[in-house]
Amino acid sequence: MRAMTIGLLVAALALVGCAGAQKSNTIKIGWFGPETGDSALWGQAELNTVQMMAADYNAQGGIDIGGKKYQLQIVPYDDKGDSTEAVNVAKRLVSQDKVVAVVGAQGSGEAIPVAPIMDEAKVPLVASTATNPKVTVTESGQVHPYVFRACFTDPYQGKVAAYFAYQRLNKRNAAILMTIDDPYSTGLSQYFKESFEQLGGKVVAEVSYTSGEKDFRAPLTKIKAAKPDIIFIPAYYNDVALAAKQARDLGINQMLLGGDGWPSDNLISLAGKALEGCMFINHLDFDGAEAQPMRDEYKAKYGKNAELNSYMVHDALMMVIDAMERAKAFDGPSIQKALETTDIQGITGHIKIGPEHNPVGKDAWLIKIVGPDMKFQEKFSAAS
Amino acid sequence: MNQFLQQLVNGLSIGSIYALMAVGYSLVYSIMNFSNFAHGSVIMLGAYFGFFALTLAGLPFALAFFVAACCAAGVAVLLERLAYKPLRDRHAPFLYFIITAMGASIFIDNSVIATIGPTPKTFPSELLPSFLQSGAIRIGHVDVGRIDLAMFAITVVCLVALVLFIDFTRLGKAIQATAYNMKASALMGINPGFVIILVFAIGGALAGVAGVLYGMKYQVFPQMSAITLKSFIAAVFGGLGSLPGAMLGSLLLALIETFVSGYLSTQYRDLFSFIILIAMLVIRPSGIMGKTAEDKA
Repeated sequence: MRAMTIGLLVAALALVGCAGAQKSNTIKIGWFGPETGDSALWGQAELNTVQMMAADYNAQGGIDIGGKKYQLQIVPYDDKGDSTEAVNVAKRLVSQDKVVAVVGAQGSGEAIPVAPIMDEAKVPLVASTATNPKVTVTESGQVHPYVFRACFTDPYQGKVAAYFAYQRLNKRNAAILMTIDDPYSTGLSQYFKESFEQLGGKVVAEVSYTSGEKDFRAPLTKIKAAKPDIIFIPAYYNDVALAAKQARDLGINQMLLGGDGWPSDNLISLAGKALEGCMFINHLDFDGAEAQPMRDEYKAKYGKNAELNSYMVHDALMMVIDAMERAKAFDGPSIQKALETTDIQGITGHIKIGPEHNPVGKDAWLIKIVGPDMKFQEKFSAAS
Repeated sequence: MNQFLQQLVNGLSIGSIYALMAVGYSLVYSIMNFSNFAHGSVIMLGAYFGFFALTLAGLPFALAFFVAACCAAGVAVLLERLAYKPLRDRHAPFLYFIITAMGASIFIDNSVIATIGPTPKTFPSELLPSFLQSGAIRIGHVDVGRIDLAMFAITVVCLVALVLFIDFTRLGKAIQATAYNMKASALMGINPGFVIILVFAIGGALAGVAGVLYGMKYQVFPQMSAITLKSFIAAVFGGLGSLPGAMLGSLLLALIETFVSGYLSTQYRDLFSFIILIAMLVIRPSGIMGKTAEDKA
């Protein structure tokens, strides 16, 4: 009796564990991101967006690859904003679910360890907002053949932030508050520092905290003592909101400047008045014309505003579909080859993939927080 | 010097939250002789109760606070009845209590993630009374957040009330007696079952208050129960089972953490916290002020 119960349980588990065989007219595309954790808002926005896009394509009969129509199926996993979990789910996507491509991987911290897995499995990954250079290029300078991204990279972002701080806002002494265990944060902070010092500025304090931290008073007190005239916080919106509030509670009233980790529907409601007048770099202008159709559709379907990640993952998925259409095939190597020559107009701008698998010449937007809104200030074009 | 004073104030402020949590933890330990790892989940639920009482039910702030404390107390008692009493009745070894506590904690945390959702929530500042709004008050050369002062005051009030209750009321003495020796006090006519419920209720209420304060200062999110670890270290540091010890341990732990963060680096902060824990357990397991106890499980 007992043996039979165990036998039945094992059989049930095996059935659950078996991924369904790919139906002949369905293409599976994987997605992973933080459905839970501090960045849950972004992960959920991405997931909602790719599912909305898949539903739209399928309602029109599917996507057309080499004359035949295929339905799109999104296979999602929660990486909990944790790099170990990201590696686990990536392995599951390529080996168990056998997806043809993966989009998402919004955090550099999660994308970097996943990159070699994609290369080995020969399944392309198009990252939405992972901006650290190591996502597509290894430390020794080799390009990961199967990894691409839809966004600009941090050396560029750091340069833009330093330029705005020095030239436009006339600040000369900067302090930096970064997340020490997040390569996005440490990388962007390093590029900002290099560019800022190159322009003639001085970084008077460089302080860090570990991700998940809720109390920033000790590092903020150090920053306060260094008397900067601007504070650069290259971190994710949740930490930024907390740090900003606590900074104001400590009597730190300097302007705060940030990167693309800031934009979120929740940023201002979490921070209250603490971020009034502060600025950050973004990948697009949410109020711009190109963003409106998707913004409206998302709002109608989900009742909430689309996040930055929605637009970026939209373009990442567009890149994959465009590659499949041009290659007239949907196996990993064919998609990978087509992705290398991507040249499309996404809703976040012109995406032309360069030799390092990054979009070349994407614009950066300086956004200011005014009351409950994020207002466009200035555009920075790669040419300048 | 100013930086030193500022960090001192930071440490005391953080310490007061740890104290509130550690005291509830220590109280349960003193009676039950096991570490209630589900305490953190009760703290988290207290924060959510307070948040929803304020935003959904639209209750005035003081009432919302009270409701949060009562609901958290209720959850703690429920936990005791459902999870721990069956084990006590069966005279289960202490290890089972710990496993059950951890299991309950994981269950509660994930239930919240599955139902309410994982996105952190913030107490809307419009609904908070003015003494809890954001902003700094300058005292000498040091800036203290208004909310930090208020939280410190609330914590002091709660802890003083607790100490008065334990030391000067009959029920308080009943708790002390049961903590000292459950069988002997039962022989003297004190109902141990009742005392246990009372202790869990008080611990739960304190957790509820701590949760709301923590949620107001930072955010309300399902993974809040991870703070239990800090309160555990603080309680062990000060002496498990001793209430003054829990308070002292919390303040000292917070001060050490803040000065390490401020003067060395934030990266070393948790390293120091855990080194202190290990050193305490090895050198003086009873903690700074604790009764000698061998079994810290």
